[in-house]
Amino acid sequence: MPSVVSKQYSDDVSLLVLLLDTNPLFWSTTSITFSQFLSHVLAFLNAVLGLNQLNQVVVIATGYSSCDYIYDSSLTSNHGNLESNGTGMPALFGSLLKKLEEFVTKDEELSKEEVSEDRIPSCLLSGSLSMALCYIQRVFRSGHLHPQPRILCLQGSPDGPEQYVAVMNSIFSAQRLMVPIDSCYIGVQNSAFLQQASYITGGVHHTPKQLDGLFQYLTTIFATDLHSRGFVQLPKPIGVDFRASCFCHKKTIDMGYICSVCLSIFCEHHKKCSTCGSVFGQSKLDDASSVSDKKRKAPST
Amino acid sequence: MDMVASLPAIKLDKLYNNVFICEAILRSLPPLAKKYVLQMLYINVPVPATMMEEWVLADGASKHRVAIDRLIQLRIFSEISDRKRGTSYSLNPTFQNNLQKHIISGGVLPREPMNSDNAIKLPSLQELETYALKQWECFLLQLINSGQGEKLTGISSSMMKIFQRGLLSQRDKDGPRLTESGFQFLLMDTNAQLWYIIREYISNAEERDVEPADLISFLLELSFHVTGEAYNSNTLTEVQNNTLKDLADLGLVKLQQGRKDSWFIPTKLATNLSVSLADSSARKEGFVVMETNFRMYAYSTSKLQCEILRLFARIEYQLPNLIACAITKESLYNAFDNGITSDQIITFLQQNSHPRCADRVPSIPENVTDQIRLWETDLKRIEMTQAHFYDEFPSKDVFEAACDFAREWGGLLWEDSKRMRLVVKSEVHNQMREFLHTQSK
Repeated sequence: MPSVVSKQYSDDVSLLVLLLDTNPLFWSTTSITFSQFLSHVLAFLNAVLGLNQLNQVVVIATGYSSCDYIYDSSLTSNHGNLESNGTGMPALFGSLLKKLEEFVTKDEELSKEEVSEDRIPSCLLSGSLSMALCYIQRVFRSGHLHPQPRILCLQGSPDGPEQYVAVMNSIFSAQRLMVPIDSCYIGVQNSAFLQQASYITGGVHHTPKQLDGLFQYLTTIFATDLHSRGFVQLPKPIGVDFRASCFCHKKTIDMGYICSVCLSIFCEHHKKCSTCGSVFGQSKLDDASSVSDKKRKAPST
Repeated sequence: MDMVASLPAIKLDKLYNNVFICEAILRSLPPLAKKYVLQMLYINVPVPATMMEEWVLADGASKHRVAIDRLIQLRIFSEISDRKRGTSYSLNPTFQNNLQKHIISGGVLPREPMNSDNAIKLPSLQELETYALKQWECFLLQLINSGQGEKLTGISSSMMKIFQRGLLSQRDKDGPRLTESGFQFLLMDTNAQLWYIIREYISNAEERDVEPADLISFLLELSFHVTGEAYNSNTLTEVQNNTLKDLADLGLVKLQQGRKDSWFIPTKLATNLSVSLADSSARKEGFVVMETNFRMYAYSTSKLQCEILRLFARIEYQLPNLIACAITKESLYNAFDNGITSDQIITFLQQNSHPRCADRVPSIPENVTDQIRLWETDLKRIEMTQAHFYDEFPSKDVFEAACDFAREWGGLLWEDSKRMRLVVKSEVHNQMREFLHTQSK
């Protein structure tokens, strides 16, 4: 995309879209409280904004069943001074906290409505990723000089396999836009989604070991602008979990059936592909199904 | 920022007491240095240099060096040498503290903003920008033709002299002329021009009994104010008030007189001060259309642009929004005479070409650029070299030896073996004389 590149600033001006995990089901299980976590993140955002006058930060909250923009530095910075009330918290982030609170209560109400017992307590990563990409696309199209965008996912909740297709689609569109997705996973398990996202888009994936020092992790690794990434030592992926979810039951699988036309993944044999409608040859399949149509997707860890 | 770096250590430490200066300095650093500062913000013990080298990849080593040098130069890093552990670096404690505070709690400007219920009508952002640009253009215009002095801005003539120093040269009797650096100055974008002027302003502060450090801190602070907001100027010191008046003349701030106290409104020029020079936020649209027949049409109403064009082109006529001119041999010789080079003219034309022309490749017709270059080389057909002339050699041998000697030193310019005469560069004259002395003995 040469036209896009030529419009960018020459230096290290960056647009950071932060996806903040606010899943209450996750935060009730962690070693640090959400407010402690938030103080680390806010300091980090302040630092990013401080690095360059033209830096922009957008925060998108990712809840259990919804997601929303809660902060945009390009909108609030102009009248930030008027709101300063000397409470110690930066005036800029007063609105962030207020919106976050509103969002959490709304999210809670929404999640009460849909009662599903067996759903994994995941957050709506696909939704917030798409919102981030929409925002970046809007910036690209605004025509003027624009900062170099990148996405940072701060996630703790486990993956929701039912979002597999949506998340993968977002990842590939990010790859097309050349927007790296950095991911910082603060939960206990490993997130295959985030590993794949960072791997495919050329971002950094890291799992901090001590959450008390989150700020240090954030500034050391994720504050690095795209310009400096060329010559700074950053954590390399140890291994990427490439496992996919099947399209029929949304389960994460090691082995499955793949449609030879549209590459949809299924955990069991079907007569017809549910995605593209192509009919699978039956006579052959009965005899040697395990050889011809079965493909193994192994995690490379 | 070199200005800041050149300040003595004590003053620099004093500067870092101000949170906003720390912030402005941080923004001016190279990207890698920014990252180091951020990374070490909460590390209270010195970090060994060898460890820091591990932070970068092999091909980033030179960038690493630059970053570290810059940080030491600005006294943000202090170097500690230890025999056992080698060198290690630690952050300047005042700087570190202030930045930590800034990141956690943000900063509050020392000026009180105007209450929104105040009766005074604030100018809109648009008005403010036109005001700033008009003021700035006025200033530039006055700068280049001080001879025909209409008093447009209130800048004292002594101040004007200071700014003009280096940009204009007094030649004989035909009034001040723009020097090479003066033309380069006009070619720069607004932000760079602004910095040049500000730098001159600061370097002259001492002559006016003003502490440069105070001035720098005030200017940097100013850049953190919000464009288009009015601030009460009663919290300012007298020095700052005086500075403010000068800045108003430059279009950096707009002063407004209230019933009881006065306000100042920073314009975009002021708030862009701390933006690094690399990214000028407002690149102006070009206005020049160059044709293959050496005629040039400039869509501009600005008197300043007209003056700039006049430097190297003949203005033929002027319509309200259009200046028609032609590039001729005479007008160009005039420009070359003033020390302006062809490359400067061509880059100026390229940078300012009209958006429609800018899409074409090349944006300036090739025959024009070629001709401009040719006319310049015409003037440079003769090259002067200081030299010495030798003749009346006693014998052919001595002459030959002298020629060889001069050739060895790379100073032989011309020889005439028949009449035994040669011309040697004057740098070699001393060696030549010694050599001839030894020969004649």
